[in-house]
Amino acid sequence: MSIALLGINHRSAPLSIRERLSISCGEEGKPFEELKKIPQIGEVLYLSTCNRVEVLVNMDDTDAGVEGLKAFITAHGNLSPEEMNKCLYVYRDEEAVRHLFRVTSSLDSMVMGEPQILGQVKDAYQLCVKQKASGVILNKLLHHAFRVAKRVRTETAIANNAVSVSFAAVELAKKIFGALGGKRALIVGAGEMAELAARHLMDNGVDRMIFTNRTYENAVRLANDFQGLPVEFELIDEKLGEVDIVISSTGSPDCIISEDMIAGALRRRKNRLLFLIDVAVPRDIDPAAGEIDNVYLYNIDDLQGIVDQNTQGRLKEAHKAQSIIDEEVAKFSGWYATLEVVPTIVDLKGKAEEIVKGEMERSHSWMKNLGDEERGNIEVLVNSVVNKILHDPVVGLKRESRNGGADPYVAAIKKLFRLK
Amino acid sequence: MEILFFRIALAAYFVSTVGYIASLFAERVRVAKASMWVLAAAFALHTVHIAIGWMGTFSIPSANIYGSLSFIAWAVAGSYLAFQAKTKTQVLGAFVSPVVVVMMIAASAGLMDGASIPLALRGPLVSFHILLLLTGGALFALACLAGLMYLVQDRLIRGKKVSGFSRLLPSLRDLDRINHLCTVWGFPLLTFGIIAGSVWARTVWGSDWQWDPKQVFTAVSWVLYAAVVHQRVAIGWKGRKAALLSIIAFAGLLFAFIGVNAFFVTMHRF
Repeated sequence: MSIALLGINHRSAPLSIRERLSISCGEEGKPFEELKKIPQIGEVLYLSTCNRVEVLVNMDDTDAGVEGLKAFITAHGNLSPEEMNKCLYVYRDEEAVRHLFRVTSSLDSMVMGEPQILGQVKDAYQLCVKQKASGVILNKLLHHAFRVAKRVRTETAIANNAVSVSFAAVELAKKIFGALGGKRALIVGAGEMAELAARHLMDNGVDRMIFTNRTYENAVRLANDFQGLPVEFELIDEKLGEVDIVISSTGSPDCIISEDMIAGALRRRKNRLLFLIDVAVPRDIDPAAGEIDNVYLYNIDDLQGIVDQNTQGRLKEAHKAQSIIDEEVAKFSGWYATLEVVPTIVDLKGKAEEIVKGEMERSHSWMKNLGDEERGNIEVLVNSVVNKILHDPVVGLKRESRNGGADPYVAAIKKLFRLK
Repeated sequence: MEILFFRIALAAYFVSTVGYIASLFAERVRVAKASMWVLAAAFALHTVHIAIGWMGTFSIPSANIYGSLSFIAWAVAGSYLAFQAKTKTQVLGAFVSPVVVVMMIAASAGLMDGASIPLALRGPLVSFHILLLLTGGALFALACLAGLMYLVQDRLIRGKKVSGFSRLLPSLRDLDRINHLCTVWGFPLLTFGIIAGSVWARTVWGSDWQWDPKQVFTAVSWVLYAAVVHQRVAIGWKGRKAALLSIIAFAGLLFAFIGVNAFFVTMHRF
């Protein structure tokens, strides 16, 4: 019985291979049917996200089982043997546990610390339970992994600061305005970055989005997507007085929003704080506008700078997370190691119970003269003597198994007590 | 008996300060929340202490500088707890509670000598005078703290240094709102406190204005606060400038309250 983990991820395999594999395994339940056909496999968890495809198994014969899994992956990804050897990683036992803990704690993610992966592993586990593909070991292992992920999240700052430009913009907005509920945003121009930032702002409570574009139709299209309000490009100046956040990303070669426009808008808005985000290159907003009191101007380089700082910070936190994971792997391994002596302990206790039962039956002839209470007391007495005698050997076996040297003791007990 | 409440309150204030500062370093909200409850307990004990003193003498126990400090500390803690319930910013506690502890320690130095209050200092008008000015002062102290934090946060955001210390500070808008509310509420208290004092001065000293240095500096800070309130309410100042002016005004008030005694001879009791 042993744990193994096979898979490919964004580091080991190019997108084209990951795509092939995750599409072919896409249908719910399908991979489970095939995986369960591999004879050595007892329990199996199948995880597929955009960045990884992994199979976690508990199986009897490791080598044969791994070969079976490799065949499964080769067939599904339509991979050549060279491709597979290059891309596929195989972890066993403690290394498999460590890898799983790293994945759920988001240390192995493309964007380290991103929160989605934990949810994805939880979904995968739910599916595995639904398919009745999990057992004692995987249940314990996955629950342990979720606990580790939570510990890493609360005890390190790995997920604290935004590591994408659009998230950084939202965090800044929160630093300025507190909660974003009831705030308004003006989106000037279109572009992936602006749309992403708009999406994040809306998810965080900004409830009124105004879109404008030199081509009015584009503003209307975006406004429809976001349930916002399209306005004519010429009305920017007027709208600056009303909104709290401006995101600008036009292809214009010159500044669109001048210092004077901002200064004027600020008078009209009675100095309410204004947050300007200029993601355009070349810039849309006159840098001098950022010098005005109560105006905060960030351009794309500023945002990128924050993201870089935060990424650095996460790398530092990753070391802390790593030592938490080491600690937890040791804990799990301790529990896992005691499993090898569990059958012996069960047999031993079973034998003792049988002896007690047999002897009680044999004494039936003279015990029937006793009252119910006295018979009960005798039974309790006999059981507690047996349990006391067995207690030390059982604890000793578990201790030896944690230290990795239980084999001779198991053999001795089996021989002395004549267990099967 | 009442001094016991004071001591336990002081100890509790101290514990909550340690908790708040620990929460800054540990970056744990739970620690800050616990500290908030300790602070609330300290505030309750402190309230009992003040109430007992009040009932014992039938006048406020703040007719000397020590009693006043204790009262300001009480008012600062109380107004902070009220704000905390409204704005949900935990971090300000880490800045407020140390101030409270320092004032309490200073106050404890003098509480022991129960110098009897002279006859001239008894009566409802004096109590009003002291109570209004001290409560106003406490609100201004809170406004000043929020203003200082605003300036720091503003500098950090402008300097694009937002990953570190900035995370621990509340948002600009919350800080500005605290500064605004404290200033706007503190101002009428200050005004009526001064009026109560001058009316009473007329009955004791014969005139309501003696060019006493304490009066002069208080008047100067009143003008400064009047300016802040005017700019905020009528002109619509917000943010940095308002914060800066409220800090300057508080420096004036602080000097009038404590500094004057060190540099000038004043006929004011403290």
